[in-house]
Amino acid sequence: MERKKTKSRREFINSSMRFGMVLALGGVGGLAFRKSTGDQWVWQVDPFKCSWCGRCATHCVLNPSAVKCVHAYELCGYCDLCGGYLIPGHSDRSTAAENQLCPTAAIERKFIEEPYYEYKINEDLCIGCAKCAEGCSAFGNGSLHLQIMHHICVNCNECAIARVCPSDAIKRVKGSDPYLMKGDFTADGGET
Amino acid sequence: MRKWAIISIVTISAATIIAVIISEHRSTLPGRRPANPFAYDVDEFRSVDQELIRWRETGQVQLDREAPRAMAYAAGKIYLASGNELQVIGSDWSRMLSKTLPAEPTCLTADEDGWIVVGMGNRLAILDSEGETAAVSETLTEETNITSVAILGDQIYAADATGRRVLIFNRELEQTGEFRGDSGVSEVHGFIVPGAHFALAVNSEDELWITNPGIHALQNYTASGRLRSYIQRTSFGIDGFSGCCNPVHFTFLPDGKFVTSEKGIIRIKVIIGTGDVESVVAPSELFREGTRAPAVAVDDNGNVLALDFDRNMIRIFEPI
Repeated sequence: MERKKTKSRREFINSSMRFGMVLALGGVGGLAFRKSTGDQWVWQVDPFKCSWCGRCATHCVLNPSAVKCVHAYELCGYCDLCGGYLIPGHSDRSTAAENQLCPTAAIERKFIEEPYYEYKINEDLCIGCAKCAEGCSAFGNGSLHLQIMHHICVNCNECAIARVCPSDAIKRVKGSDPYLMKGDFTADGGET
Repeated sequence: MRKWAIISIVTISAATIIAVIISEHRSTLPGRRPANPFAYDVDEFRSVDQELIRWRETGQVQLDREAPRAMAYAAGKIYLASGNELQVIGSDWSRMLSKTLPAEPTCLTADEDGWIVVGMGNRLAILDSEGETAAVSETLTEETNITSVAILGDQIYAADATGRRVLIFNRELEQTGEFRGDSGVSEVHGFIVPGAHFALAVNSEDELWITNPGIHALQNYTASGRLRSYIQRTSFGIDGFSGCCNPVHFTFLPDGKFVTSEKGIIRIKVIIGTGDVESVVAPSELFREGTRAPAVAVDDNGNVLALDFDRNMIRIFEPI
Protein backbone atom coordinates (compact mmCIF):
# COMPACT_ATOMS: atom_id res chain seq x y z
CA MET A 1 0.00 0.00 0.00
CA GLU A 2 1.46 3.29 -1.24
CA ARG A 3 1.70 5.91 1.36
CA LYS A 4 0.32 9.33 0.45
CA LYS A 5 3.14 11.85 0.00
CA THR A 6 2.84 14.78 2.37
CA LYS A 7 4.38 18.23 1.76
CA SER A 8 6.57 19.81 4.28
CA ARG A 9 5.75 23.28 5.58
CA ARG A 10 8.62 24.78 3.56
CA GLU A 11 7.41 23.15 0.32
CA PHE A 12 3.88 24.36 0.97
CA ILE A 13 5.00 27.99 1.49
CA ASN A 14 7.21 27.85 -1.61
CA SER A 15 4.46 26.55 -3.86
CA SER A 16 1.97 29.05 -2.42
CA MET A 17 4.39 31.90 -3.11
CA ARG A 18 4.90 30.72 -6.70
CA PHE A 19 1.18 30.40 -7.23
CA GLY A 20 0.55 33.86 -5.75
CA MET A 21 3.22 35.47 -7.93
CA VAL A 22 1.86 33.85 -11.10
CA LEU A 23 -1.63 35.01 -10.13
CA ALA A 24 -0.45 38.59 -9.46
CA LEU A 25 1.54 38.69 -12.70
CA GLY A 26 -1.45 37.40 -14.64
CA GLY A 27 -3.70 39.96 -12.98
CA VAL A 28 -1.39 42.88 -13.72
CA GLY A 29 -0.93 41.68 -17.30
CA GLY A 30 -4.67 41.30 -17.74
CA LEU A 31 -5.34 44.78 -16.41
CA ALA A 32 -2.64 46.27 -18.62
CA PHE A 33 -4.06 44.45 -21.66
CA ARG A 34 -7.58 45.63 -20.84
CA LYS A 35 -6.42 49.20 -20.39
CA SER A 36 -4.56 49.21 -23.68
CA THR A 37 -7.38 47.66 -25.69
CA GLY A 38 -10.56 48.61 -23.85
CA ASP A 39 -12.42 51.89 -23.41
CA GLN A 40 -11.09 54.34 -20.86
CA TRP A 41 -13.68 56.08 -18.76
CA VAL A 42 -13.50 59.84 -18.30
CA TRP A 43 -15.44 62.45 -16.37
CA GLN A 44 -17.91 64.75 -18.13
CA VAL A 45 -20.48 67.35 -17.10
CA ASP A 46 -24.08 66.82 -18.16
CA PRO A 47 -24.87 70.43 -19.15
CA PHE A 48 -28.60 69.86 -18.80
CA LYS A 49 -28.20 68.91 -15.13
CA CYS A 50 -25.66 71.58 -14.18
CA SER A 51 -27.01 74.13 -11.71
CA TRP A 52 -24.02 76.53 -11.92
CA CYS A 53 -23.17 76.14 -8.21
CA GLY A 54 -19.56 77.28 -8.62
CA ARG A 55 -18.07 74.11 -7.14
CA CYS A 56 -16.35 73.10 -10.36
CA ALA A 57 -14.08 76.10 -9.76
CA THR A 58 -13.47 75.47 -6.08
CA HIS A 59 -13.39 71.67 -5.68
CA CYS A 60 -11.29 70.35 -8.57
CA VAL A 61 -7.93 68.94 -7.44
CA LEU A 62 -6.32 71.12 -10.10
CA ASN A 63 -5.96 74.86 -9.80
CA PRO A 64 -7.29 76.31 -12.02
CA SER A 65 -9.96 73.71 -12.48
CA ALA A 66 -10.04 71.20 -15.35
CA VAL A 67 -13.63 72.31 -15.90
CA LYS A 68 -13.89 75.05 -18.50
CA CYS A 69 -16.65 76.93 -20.19
CA VAL A 70 -17.33 75.74 -23.74
CA HIS A 71 -19.48 77.38 -26.38
CA ALA A 72 -22.10 75.55 -28.42
CA TYR A 73 -21.88 77.90 -31.38
CA GLU A 74 -24.89 76.33 -33.13
CA LEU A 75 -27.16 77.52 -30.33
CA CYS A 76 -25.68 80.98 -29.87
CA GLY A 77 -27.64 84.02 -30.99
CA TYR A 78 -24.43 86.02 -31.59
CA CYS A 79 -26.12 89.07 -30.10
CA ASP A 80 -24.48 92.18 -28.70
CA LEU A 81 -26.42 91.97 -25.41
CA CYS A 82 -25.14 88.54 -24.34
CA GLY A 83 -26.29 87.61 -20.83
CA GLY A 84 -23.19 85.46 -20.42
CA TYR A 85 -20.80 88.27 -21.32
CA LEU A 86 -22.29 91.40 -19.77
CA ILE A 87 -22.97 91.97 -16.09
CA PRO A 88 -26.61 92.51 -15.07
CA GLY A 89 -27.32 96.23 -15.13
CA HIS A 90 -24.33 97.00 -17.38
CA SER A 91 -23.93 100.66 -18.26
CA ASP A 92 -23.32 99.95 -21.93
CA ARG A 93 -22.49 97.00 -24.16
CA SER A 94 -18.82 97.72 -24.64
CA THR A 95 -15.94 95.39 -23.77
CA ALA A 96 -14.90 97.63 -20.87
CA ALA A 97 -13.83 95.61 -17.83
CA GLU A 98 -16.63 96.97 -15.67
CA ASN A 99 -19.21 95.58 -18.12
CA GLN A 100 -17.79 92.07 -18.24
CA LEU A 101 -19.40 89.32 -16.20
CA CYS A 102 -16.46 86.89 -16.28
CA PRO A 103 -14.23 87.40 -13.22
CA THR A 104 -11.12 86.54 -15.25
CA ALA A 105 -12.11 88.14 -18.57
CA ALA A 106 -11.91 84.73 -20.21
CA ILE A 107 -14.61 85.46 -22.80
CA GLU A 108 -13.32 87.19 -25.89
CA ARG A 109 -15.85 89.10 -27.96
CA LYS A 110 -15.28 89.57 -31.68
CA PHE A 111 -17.37 91.73 -34.01
CA ILE A 112 -18.83 89.80 -36.94
CA GLU A 113 -21.29 92.21 -38.56
CA GLU A 114 -23.79 94.67 -37.19
CA PRO A 115 -25.21 93.73 -34.69
CA TYR A 116 -23.65 90.26 -34.32
CA TYR A 117 -20.70 89.22 -32.18
CA GLU A 118 -18.88 85.95 -31.64
CA TYR A 119 -17.95 84.88 -28.11
CA LYS A 120 -14.88 82.69 -27.68
CA ILE A 121 -13.54 81.19 -24.46
CA ASN A 122 -9.90 81.66 -23.55
CA GLU A 123 -9.27 78.29 -21.91
CA ASP A 124 -6.12 79.45 -20.14
CA LEU A 125 -8.04 82.14 -18.27
CA CYS A 126 -11.29 80.25 -17.61
CA ILE A 127 -11.62 78.91 -14.06
CA GLY A 128 -14.90 77.05 -14.61
CA CYS A 129 -16.97 79.20 -12.26
CA ALA A 130 -20.12 78.92 -14.44
CA LYS A 131 -21.09 82.54 -13.93
CA CYS A 132 -21.37 83.07 -17.69
CA ALA A 133 -23.21 79.78 -18.15
CA GLU A 134 -25.82 80.83 -15.60
CA GLY A 135 -26.30 84.24 -17.23
CA CYS A 136 -26.51 82.68 -20.67
CA SER A 137 -29.06 80.10 -19.53
CA ALA A 138 -31.22 82.62 -17.67
CA PHE A 139 -31.44 85.22 -20.40
CA GLY A 140 -30.22 83.46 -23.53
CA ASN A 141 -30.14 80.02 -25.10
CA GLY A 142 -27.71 78.34 -22.71
CA SER A 143 -25.09 78.00 -25.43
CA LEU A 144 -22.33 78.69 -22.89
CA HIS A 145 -21.93 75.71 -20.57
CA LEU A 146 -19.30 73.89 -18.57
CA GLN A 147 -17.34 70.82 -19.60
CA ILE A 148 -14.43 68.82 -18.23
CA MET A 149 -11.50 69.04 -20.59
CA HIS A 150 -9.88 65.65 -21.24
CA HIS A 151 -6.45 67.11 -21.89
CA ILE A 152 -6.38 68.84 -18.49
CA CYS A 153 -8.35 66.45 -16.25
CA VAL A 154 -6.16 63.98 -14.36
CA ASN A 155 -9.08 61.54 -14.30
CA CYS A 156 -9.15 60.89 -10.55
CA ASN A 157 -10.69 57.62 -9.58
CA GLU A 158 -13.23 59.57 -7.58
CA CYS A 159 -13.81 63.04 -8.98
CA ALA A 160 -13.63 65.62 -6.17
CA ILE A 161 -16.27 67.74 -7.92
CA ALA A 162 -18.64 64.81 -8.47
CA ARG A 163 -18.62 64.21 -4.71
CA VAL A 164 -19.99 67.67 -3.99
CA CYS A 165 -22.03 68.38 -7.13
CA PRO A 166 -25.53 69.21 -5.85
CA SER A 167 -27.24 68.27 -9.09
CA ASP A 168 -25.44 65.01 -9.84
CA ALA A 169 -24.22 66.49 -13.12
CA ILE A 170 -20.74 64.91 -13.17
CA LYS A 171 -20.67 61.45 -14.65
CA ARG A 172 -18.29 58.98 -16.24
CA VAL A 173 -18.52 58.42 -19.97
CA LYS A 174 -16.47 56.29 -22.33
CA GLY A 175 -13.25 57.99 -23.35
CA SER A 176 -14.05 57.26 -26.96
CA ASP A 177 -17.22 59.35 -26.69
CA PRO A 178 -16.94 62.96 -27.78
CA TYR A 179 -17.44 65.82 -25.38
CA LEU A 180 -21.03 66.26 -24.23
CA MET A 181 -21.90 69.48 -26.04
CA LYS A 182 -25.31 71.09 -26.10
CA GLY A 183 -26.82 70.81 -29.55
CA ASP A 184 -25.19 67.42 -30.14
CA PHE A 185 -27.42 65.62 -27.67
CA THR A 186 -30.66 66.35 -25.89
CA ALA A 187 -31.80 66.23 -22.30
CA ASP A 188 -34.34 63.67 -21.17
CA GLY A 189 -37.10 66.17 -21.84
CA GLY A 190 -35.94 66.67 -25.39
CA GLU A 191 -34.45 70.10 -24.75
CA THR A 192 -31.52 70.83 -27.04
CA MET B 1 3.54 51.86 25.35
CA ARG B 2 0.89 51.39 27.92
CA LYS B 3 -2.46 49.98 27.00
CA TRP B 4 -4.38 53.14 27.97
CA ALA B 5 -2.19 55.24 25.67
CA ILE B 6 -2.94 52.99 22.67
CA ILE B 7 -6.66 53.07 23.43
CA SER B 8 -6.58 56.87 23.71
CA ILE B 9 -4.77 57.31 20.37
CA VAL B 10 -7.13 54.91 18.56
CA THR B 11 -10.19 56.60 20.12
CA ILE B 12 -9.01 60.12 19.20
CA SER B 13 -8.15 59.01 15.65
CA ALA B 14 -11.54 57.33 15.19
CA ALA B 15 -13.36 60.38 16.57
CA THR B 16 -11.41 62.69 14.22
CA ILE B 17 -12.19 60.53 11.18
CA ILE B 18 -15.89 60.36 12.09
CA ALA B 19 -16.01 64.13 12.64
CA VAL B 20 -14.41 64.79 9.23
CA ILE B 21 -16.83 62.40 7.49
CA ILE B 22 -19.87 63.94 9.20
CA SER B 23 -18.78 67.53 8.50
CA GLU B 24 -18.10 66.71 4.84
CA HIS B 25 -21.49 65.04 4.52
CA ARG B 26 -23.32 67.87 6.24
CA SER B 27 -21.58 70.49 4.08
CA THR B 28 -23.17 69.03 0.94
CA LEU B 29 -26.71 68.95 2.31
CA PRO B 30 -29.16 71.43 0.80
CA GLY B 31 -29.30 74.57 2.90
CA ARG B 32 -25.85 73.91 4.38
CA ARG B 33 -23.86 74.47 1.22
CA PRO B 34 -21.46 77.37 1.33
CA ALA B 35 -22.58 80.39 -0.66
CA ASN B 36 -21.51 80.37 -4.28
CA PRO B 37 -18.80 83.03 -4.61
CA PHE B 38 -19.50 83.18 -8.36
CA ALA B 39 -23.30 83.43 -8.20
CA TYR B 40 -25.01 85.29 -11.03
CA ASP B 41 -26.97 87.77 -8.98
CA VAL B 42 -29.97 89.63 -10.37
CA ASP B 43 -31.88 89.89 -7.07
CA GLU B 44 -31.62 93.67 -7.00
CA PHE B 45 -33.62 93.80 -10.24
CA ARG B 46 -36.38 91.47 -9.02
CA SER B 47 -37.87 93.86 -6.53
CA VAL B 48 -40.90 95.76 -7.75
CA ASP B 49 -42.54 98.87 -6.32
CA GLN B 50 -45.69 97.50 -4.64
CA GLU B 51 -47.63 100.47 -6.04
CA LEU B 52 -47.08 99.01 -9.51
CA ILE B 53 -48.61 95.62 -8.67
CA ARG B 54 -52.22 96.29 -9.55
CA TRP B 55 -53.23 92.71 -10.29
CA ARG B 56 -53.84 89.78 -8.01
CA GLU B 57 -53.84 86.08 -8.67
CA THR B 58 -57.38 84.79 -8.22
CA GLY B 59 -57.20 81.28 -9.56
CA GLN B 60 -55.03 78.39 -10.62
CA VAL B 61 -56.30 75.61 -12.84
CA GLN B 62 -54.16 72.49 -12.82
CA LEU B 63 -54.05 70.90 -16.27
CA ASP B 64 -54.79 67.22 -16.61
CA ARG B 65 -52.51 66.78 -19.61
CA GLU B 66 -48.72 66.87 -19.43
CA ALA B 67 -46.32 68.90 -21.57
CA PRO B 68 -48.17 72.20 -22.09
CA ARG B 69 -47.01 73.90 -25.27
CA ALA B 70 -49.18 76.87 -26.20
CA MET B 71 -52.35 78.74 -25.25
CA ALA B 72 -54.74 81.20 -26.92
CA TYR B 73 -58.08 82.77 -26.06
CA ALA B 74 -60.94 83.80 -28.35
CA ALA B 75 -64.69 84.27 -27.95
CA GLY B 76 -65.01 82.77 -24.51
CA LYS B 77 -62.86 79.72 -25.18
CA ILE B 78 -59.36 78.74 -24.17
CA TYR B 79 -57.35 76.94 -26.83
CA LEU B 80 -54.65 74.82 -25.30
CA ALA B 81 -51.99 72.58 -26.80
CA SER B 82 -50.46 69.89 -24.59
CA GLY B 83 -48.22 67.20 -26.02
CA ASN B 84 -49.75 66.36 -29.41
CA GLU B 85 -53.25 67.25 -28.30
CA LEU B 86 -55.33 70.34 -28.99
CA GLN B 87 -58.05 71.10 -26.45
CA VAL B 88 -60.79 73.69 -26.50
CA ILE B 89 -61.92 74.62 -22.99
CA GLY B 90 -65.11 76.50 -22.20
CA SER B 91 -65.62 79.36 -19.77
CA ASP B 92 -66.69 76.82 -17.10
CA TRP B 93 -63.38 74.97 -17.65
CA SER B 94 -65.13 71.99 -19.25
CA ARG B 95 -63.40 70.35 -22.19
CA MET B 96 -65.39 71.11 -25.34
CA LEU B 97 -63.07 69.53 -27.87
CA SER B 98 -60.03 67.30 -27.94
CA LYS B 99 -58.08 66.61 -31.09
CA THR B 100 -54.84 64.74 -31.66
CA LEU B 101 -52.53 66.63 -33.98
CA PRO B 102 -50.14 64.99 -36.45
CA ALA B 103 -47.12 66.67 -34.86
CA GLU B 104 -46.16 68.56 -31.72
CA PRO B 105 -47.69 72.03 -31.83
CA THR B 106 -45.36 74.95 -31.20
CA CYS B 107 -47.99 77.71 -31.19
CA LEU B 108 -51.65 78.37 -31.93
CA THR B 109 -54.25 81.07 -32.29
CA ALA B 110 -58.00 81.26 -32.95
CA ASP B 111 -60.48 83.82 -34.21
CA GLU B 112 -63.99 84.82 -33.17
CA ASP B 113 -65.53 82.31 -35.62
CA GLY B 114 -63.73 79.39 -34.06
CA TRP B 115 -61.10 78.88 -36.76
CA ILE B 116 -57.92 77.58 -35.22
CA VAL B 117 -54.43 77.98 -36.68
CA VAL B 118 -51.78 75.66 -35.30
CA GLY B 119 -48.05 75.96 -35.94
CA MET B 120 -46.12 72.69 -35.80
CA GLY B 121 -42.46 73.57 -36.25
CA ASN B 122 -42.10 73.83 -39.99
CA ARG B 123 -45.76 73.60 -41.07
CA LEU B 124 -49.16 75.05 -40.31
CA ALA B 125 -52.68 73.69 -40.16
CA ILE B 126 -56.09 75.36 -40.02
CA LEU B 127 -58.86 73.55 -38.14
CA ASP B 128 -62.52 74.46 -38.02
CA SER B 129 -64.48 74.85 -34.78
CA GLU B 130 -65.18 71.07 -34.78
CA GLY B 131 -61.48 70.30 -34.98
CA GLU B 132 -61.61 69.13 -38.58
CA THR B 133 -58.58 70.01 -40.68
CA ALA B 134 -59.45 72.64 -43.27
CA ALA B 135 -56.01 73.33 -44.71
CA VAL B 136 -52.42 72.25 -44.24
CA SER B 137 -49.38 74.13 -45.47
CA GLU B 138 -46.56 72.48 -47.34
CA THR B 139 -43.68 71.43 -45.13
CA LEU B 140 -41.20 74.28 -45.04
CA THR B 141 -37.44 73.92 -44.72
CA GLU B 142 -36.16 71.74 -41.89
CA GLU B 143 -34.67 74.77 -40.13
CA THR B 144 -38.00 76.61 -40.00
CA ASN B 145 -39.33 76.94 -36.46
CA ILE B 146 -42.71 78.66 -36.28
CA THR B 147 -43.21 79.86 -32.73
CA SER B 148 -46.15 82.25 -33.07
CA VAL B 149 -49.13 82.67 -35.40
CA ALA B 150 -51.78 85.35 -35.85
CA ILE B 151 -54.82 85.90 -38.06
CA LEU B 152 -55.33 89.26 -39.76
CA GLY B 153 -58.26 89.36 -42.18
CA ASP B 154 -57.69 86.73 -44.83
CA GLN B 155 -54.04 86.35 -44.01
CA ILE B 156 -52.15 84.19 -41.57
CA TYR B 157 -48.85 85.48 -40.16
CA ALA B 158 -46.30 83.04 -38.81
CA ALA B 159 -43.09 84.00 -36.96
CA ASP B 160 -40.11 81.80 -37.87
CA ALA B 161 -37.61 82.12 -35.00
CA THR B 162 -34.75 80.34 -36.76
CA GLY B 163 -35.16 82.20 -40.05
CA ARG B 164 -35.76 85.57 -38.31
CA ARG B 165 -38.65 86.23 -40.67
CA VAL B 166 -42.41 86.47 -40.74
CA LEU B 167 -44.19 84.28 -43.28
CA ILE B 168 -47.52 85.31 -44.80
CA PHE B 169 -50.09 82.70 -45.87
CA ASN B 170 -53.58 82.88 -47.29
CA ARG B 171 -56.47 80.94 -45.76
CA GLU B 172 -55.58 77.94 -47.93
CA LEU B 173 -52.16 78.10 -46.27
CA GLU B 174 -50.35 78.90 -49.47
CA GLN B 175 -47.40 81.14 -48.74
CA THR B 176 -47.89 84.54 -50.32
CA GLY B 177 -44.98 86.45 -48.87
CA GLU B 178 -42.48 87.01 -46.11
CA PHE B 179 -40.58 89.90 -44.55
CA ARG B 180 -37.59 90.28 -42.26
CA GLY B 181 -38.33 93.60 -40.63
CA ASP B 182 -35.79 95.56 -42.64
CA SER B 183 -36.89 99.17 -42.38
CA GLY B 184 -34.12 101.00 -44.16
CA VAL B 185 -33.72 103.16 -41.07
CA SER B 186 -30.23 102.77 -39.66
CA GLU B 187 -31.19 102.74 -35.99
CA VAL B 188 -33.93 100.14 -36.46
CA HIS B 189 -32.47 96.80 -37.45
CA GLY B 190 -34.46 93.97 -39.00
CA PHE B 191 -35.59 91.09 -36.82
CA ILE B 192 -32.87 89.91 -34.43
CA VAL B 193 -33.98 86.69 -32.78
CA PRO B 194 -31.17 85.31 -30.62
CA GLY B 195 -33.46 82.98 -28.68
CA ALA B 196 -35.78 80.17 -29.56
CA HIS B 197 -38.96 82.26 -29.47
CA PHE B 198 -40.27 84.93 -31.82
CA ALA B 199 -43.75 86.31 -31.20
CA LEU B 200 -46.42 88.26 -33.03
CA ALA B 201 -50.05 89.20 -32.36
CA VAL B 202 -52.88 91.25 -33.82
CA ASN B 203 -54.83 93.68 -31.63
CA SER B 204 -58.50 94.68 -31.79
CA GLU B 205 -57.61 97.52 -34.17
CA ASP B 206 -56.21 94.98 -36.64
CA GLU B 207 -52.67 96.15 -36.03
CA LEU B 208 -49.92 93.57 -36.49
CA TRP B 209 -47.32 93.77 -33.71
CA ILE B 210 -44.13 91.72 -33.72
CA THR B 211 -41.38 91.37 -31.14
CA ASN B 212 -37.81 92.21 -32.03
CA PRO B 213 -36.21 90.58 -28.99
CA GLY B 214 -32.63 91.32 -30.01
CA ILE B 215 -33.29 95.04 -29.51
CA HIS B 216 -35.98 94.72 -26.79
CA ALA B 217 -38.66 96.13 -29.06
CA LEU B 218 -42.27 95.65 -30.02
CA GLN B 219 -42.79 96.73 -33.61
CA ASN B 220 -45.94 97.54 -35.56
CA TYR B 221 -46.03 96.46 -39.21
CA THR B 222 -48.50 96.98 -42.02
CA ALA B 223 -50.17 93.89 -43.49
CA SER B 224 -47.55 93.86 -46.22
CA GLY B 225 -44.66 93.97 -43.75
CA ARG B 226 -43.66 97.64 -43.70
CA LEU B 227 -42.51 99.00 -40.34
CA ARG B 228 -44.95 101.60 -39.05
CA SER B 229 -43.88 102.29 -35.46
CA TYR B 230 -42.10 100.69 -32.55
CA ILE B 231 -41.46 100.90 -28.84
CA GLN B 232 -38.10 99.89 -27.43
CA ARG B 233 -36.92 99.75 -23.82
CA THR B 234 -33.75 98.13 -22.49
CA SER B 235 -33.37 97.80 -18.74
CA PHE B 236 -32.82 95.09 -16.16
CA GLY B 237 -35.33 96.94 -14.02
CA ILE B 238 -39.09 96.71 -14.33
CA ASP B 239 -39.14 99.64 -16.77
CA GLY B 240 -37.70 97.68 -19.69
CA PHE B 241 -36.65 94.35 -21.14
CA SER B 242 -33.38 92.60 -20.35
CA GLY B 243 -31.16 89.82 -21.66
CA CYS B 244 -31.08 88.78 -25.28
CA CYS B 245 -34.54 87.41 -25.83
CA ASN B 246 -37.25 89.56 -24.28
CA PRO B 247 -40.15 89.98 -24.44
CA VAL B 248 -40.87 86.30 -25.09
CA HIS B 249 -44.68 86.37 -25.28
CA PHE B 250 -47.19 89.19 -25.51
CA THR B 251 -50.88 89.84 -26.03
CA PHE B 252 -53.28 92.75 -25.67
CA LEU B 253 -55.79 93.97 -23.12
CA PRO B 254 -59.20 94.99 -24.51
CA ASP B 255 -58.07 98.64 -24.44
CA GLY B 256 -55.01 97.86 -26.57
CA LYS B 257 -52.33 97.92 -23.88
CA PHE B 258 -49.63 95.27 -24.15
CA VAL B 259 -49.30 92.38 -21.73
CA THR B 260 -45.73 91.11 -21.92
CA SER B 261 -44.07 88.01 -20.48
CA GLU B 262 -40.30 87.83 -19.91
CA LYS B 263 -37.69 85.15 -19.26
CA GLY B 264 -34.58 85.43 -17.07
CA ILE B 265 -36.30 87.61 -14.50
CA ILE B 266 -39.69 86.03 -15.10
CA ARG B 267 -42.46 88.61 -14.87
CA ILE B 268 -45.65 89.74 -16.56
CA LYS B 269 -46.43 93.42 -16.93
CA VAL B 270 -48.71 95.85 -18.76
CA ILE B 271 -47.14 98.37 -21.12
CA ILE B 272 -48.80 101.38 -22.71
CA GLY B 273 -48.22 102.68 -26.24
CA THR B 274 -45.28 104.88 -25.25
CA GLY B 275 -43.40 101.90 -23.90
CA ASP B 276 -43.84 102.90 -20.27
CA VAL B 277 -44.87 100.28 -17.73
CA GLU B 278 -48.38 100.88 -16.44
CA SER B 279 -48.60 98.02 -13.97
CA VAL B 280 -47.15 94.67 -12.98
CA VAL B 281 -49.42 91.65 -13.36
CA ALA B 282 -47.08 89.10 -11.81
CA PRO B 283 -43.65 89.84 -10.30
CA SER B 284 -40.83 87.32 -10.54
CA GLU B 285 -41.39 86.04 -6.99
CA LEU B 286 -44.52 84.22 -8.25
CA PHE B 287 -42.47 82.00 -10.54
CA ARG B 288 -39.76 79.46 -9.91
CA GLU B 289 -36.31 80.70 -10.90
CA GLY B 290 -34.87 79.23 -14.07
CA THR B 291 -38.19 78.25 -15.63
CA ARG B 292 -39.75 79.35 -18.92
CA ALA B 293 -41.59 82.61 -19.46
CA PRO B 294 -45.32 81.89 -19.21
CA ALA B 295 -47.48 82.20 -22.32
CA VAL B 296 -50.15 84.89 -21.87
CA ALA B 297 -53.71 85.46 -23.07
CA VAL B 298 -56.48 87.84 -22.05
CA ASP B 299 -60.08 86.73 -21.55
CA ASP B 300 -63.30 88.62 -22.32
CA ASN B 301 -63.32 90.16 -18.85
CA GLY B 302 -59.84 91.60 -19.25
CA ASN B 303 -58.25 89.05 -16.93
CA VAL B 304 -54.77 87.81 -17.76
CA LEU B 305 -54.34 84.05 -18.20
CA ALA B 306 -50.78 82.82 -17.78
CA LEU B 307 -49.77 79.33 -18.89
CA ASP B 308 -47.20 78.28 -16.30
CA PHE B 309 -45.15 75.62 -18.13
CA ASP B 310 -43.25 74.67 -14.98
CA ARG B 311 -46.29 73.98 -12.80
CA ASN B 312 -48.51 72.79 -15.67
CA MET B 313 -51.34 75.15 -14.81
CA ILE B 314 -53.21 78.17 -16.03
CA ARG B 315 -52.96 81.03 -13.55
CA ILE B 316 -55.60 83.74 -13.56
CA PHE B 317 -54.80 87.36 -12.70
CA GLU B 318 -57.50 89.98 -12.22
CA PRO B 319 -57.05 93.75 -11.94
CA ILE B 320 -57.38 95.06 -8.37
